[in-house]
Amino acid sequence: MSDLTRRDFLKLTTTALLTISGALGVGALFRFLDFQTEPPVKTEFDLGPAVNYPIGSRSLVPDVPALLIHNQNGFSALSLVCTHLGCTVEQKDSGFECPCHGSRYDANGKVLRGPAQKALRALRVEVNSTGNLILHTD
Amino acid sequence: MRPSFFHHLHPPTIPAKQSRWRYTLGAGGTAVFLMLVLGATGILELFYYVPTPDQAAQSIQTISYLVPFGGLVRNIHFWAAQLLLIVAAVHLVRVVFTGSYAPPRRFNYLLGLALFVFAILLDFTGYILRWDEGIQWALVVGTNLIKTIPLIGNAFYVVLTGGTQPGLPTLIRFYAWHIFGLALIVIILGVWHAFRVRRDGGIAVPPPPLRVDKERITRNELVRREVLAMLLTGAALILFAAFVPAPIAQPISDITIMAGDARAPWFFLWVQQMLKWGDPFILGVLVPLIVLAVLALIPYIFPKPADGELGKWFPRSNRLAQIVLAVIALLVIILTIFGSLPAS
Repeated sequence: MSDLTRRDFLKLTTTALLTISGALGVGALFRFLDFQTEPPVKTEFDLGPAVNYPIGSRSLVPDVPALLIHNQNGFSALSLVCTHLGCTVEQKDSGFECPCHGSRYDANGKVLRGPAQKALRALRVEVNSTGNLILHTD
Repeated sequence: MRPSFFHHLHPPTIPAKQSRWRYTLGAGGTAVFLMLVLGATGILELFYYVPTPDQAAQSIQTISYLVPFGGLVRNIHFWAAQLLLIVAAVHLVRVVFTGSYAPPRRFNYLLGLALFVFAILLDFTGYILRWDEGIQWALVVGTNLIKTIPLIGNAFYVVLTGGTQPGLPTLIRFYAWHIFGLALIVIILGVWHAFRVRRDGGIAVPPPPLRVDKERITRNELVRREVLAMLLTGAALILFAAFVPAPIAQPISDITIMAGDARAPWFFLWVQQMLKWGDPFILGVLVPLIVLAVLALIPYIFPKPADGELGKWFPRSNRLAQIVLAVIALLVIILTIFGSLPAS
């Protein structure tokens, strides 16, 4: 310790304190900005009576956005959010195409052409006690 | 006479050869002028713009179609912002192609580069403030790119957008950054950048013994040229803004319902084009950052331009830096052209 002068010690202490204060400030700023004022995003969508969607129908649910499919196997739904960067895919030919970066999916949401790597997400659909269709996005 | 900041920026005499248009291209000065125009028109827009999702697009329609001269103000703001990016890019190219970043100007080169980045951020936030159908995809893609950053992506996304998806907090945050946060940073960096020009010895010229052309122009002549450039740019801007309207689209009825143009704003078309090839983090975040890092390193890793070759275009001693910048510029331009073509 003998080679640390009083001046160097004070300098070092000042630098250390300023650095810690700065880091704490940045951390606090980050937490300040990290607060979410909006209520959590809705993950349940009531689509109305299930009888409105006959077998063989494919209906667009724009607010999700999703495609509701009713076939012999029952109800299913496909998220229309591109798995690459989140644009909404458009129905094209028998499948889907993303207008932003050109990913293509087949009718079941499987990737036909990149840049997307993952298939379109299958969403959970159920019929509740009043006969309404409920779509879950979580 | 008491010296002022004006006198600091305008020395009594400056070298004639290096103050010619064909040498400076007038890019730095024009950028300053455009920023003043952007500040003035931006303040005027503040009186009518409403930063809420319900009313933003409508308030822009009010400015554009109802307020007397409102359309002109908005068009000038828009075109000045687009022109600023081009002028700043030209300035960067000029500085590298003339080797003007050589020490002691390395730090000022970095300040200039930072200004360029902040100008792009201001352009992007301003574009988002339209909050109409023309900007939805750019907002979704631009913010989702943040999410792809490993570890800190999701937290950073919330800090940036104020939620888990774009909405009211996003618009407020972009508004705050655009009119205050980013603008303040640009003002500070801009004044510092201009101050450093003179501090570093004014425009780059060979040291006195190596100077061939010793002719100089006066402060008055410099100001005369600056005023001329301002008048020409101002007139061109007003004329252009009077006839070519800034883009505008339908208000967004619901942020989750997507409509409208899927094309990125023109200055990000090169990134959008790369994103078509695959991994969003590598191509959309890492590659642009690498490009920026290479630009920032130009004064530090390439051979220093020779003293005798300063103050002229394409000095032989910094060929490598010129080639690197030319390749980057060419790639960005080619990608932009491909990105602007309609999807196949």
